[in-house]
Amino acid sequence: MSDEQDLSLLETLDHLLDRGVVIAGDAVISIGDVDLLYLGLNIVLANVDAVIRTGRK
Amino acid sequence: MRSVVIGAHLRREDVEPLATAIACGDLWLSGVGVAGDQPLGDRDLLLRVADVRAKLLDRATFIAIRYGFAATPAEAAAKCAEHAPRWRRVLEANRDNVEMTVKVLSAEPKARPDHRAFTKGADYLRALRASAAEADPKFRDAVSSLGEHRWTHRDGRSLECALLVPRAGVERIREAAERLKNEFAAVAFLLSGPWPLEVFADHE
Repeated sequence: MSDEQDLSLLETLDHLLDRGVVIAGDAVISIGDVDLLYLGLNIVLANVDAVIRTGRK
Repeated sequence: MRSVVIGAHLRREDVEPLATAIACGDLWLSGVGVAGDQPLGDRDLLLRVADVRAKLLDRATFIAIRYGFAATPAEAAAKCAEHAPRWRRVLEANRDNVEMTVKVLSAEPKARPDHRAFTKGADYLRALRASAAEADPKFRDAVSSLGEHRWTHRDGRSLECALLVPRAGVERIREAAERLKNEFAAVAFLLSGPWPLEVFADHE
């Protein structure tokens, strides 16, 4: 996968995950007293990283 | 079966057969089916939704719903019903518009405040705002002059300008970005799009 394709995929996922109307943001932050919004982002980032790694294989 | 809801559309034919069309008042929601045990963070699901989202935009402009909302058709329709009249007005007014994004890397990154150092949320938000990245004012003006726009501070390292652009004007924006690369060689920025209505989803 080229750097340009990497960038395009990252940008696409960034828009998918972090733009648009929030209908169920509370789904991410509703468990206990843990900062799940932040935790959620970490989970997603780990997944994006996996996406990129898989794309390079 | 639950679906990840991708967006709100004016017409059923804007959605099918690329995605499942879910009636919501006189609008249609697009959905991609998700198995009961499939987590929303699943790589294949993310990529599938991203692919369908791009194909839906090729067909017609829609209001983007942020990833993470998965529901049955009845739940999705009920949750979105209150928004439907406004969404319809937005979609009718912006049928031929898309968004493009200019992401700018700050020349002088600022440290993001540590939320654990604050006892009041308002203080934290003020500090967060103060730590927002800035860009060359002349570059900002040049980007702003490209059309209807909204600047957003993303974090301490970058800021972003969303442009509302007629579909026929996408190439003009790309050409303008090329000129900006030459004119502002020291400014690192990325133009991307077209995107569905994301930042301008409330635009009337």
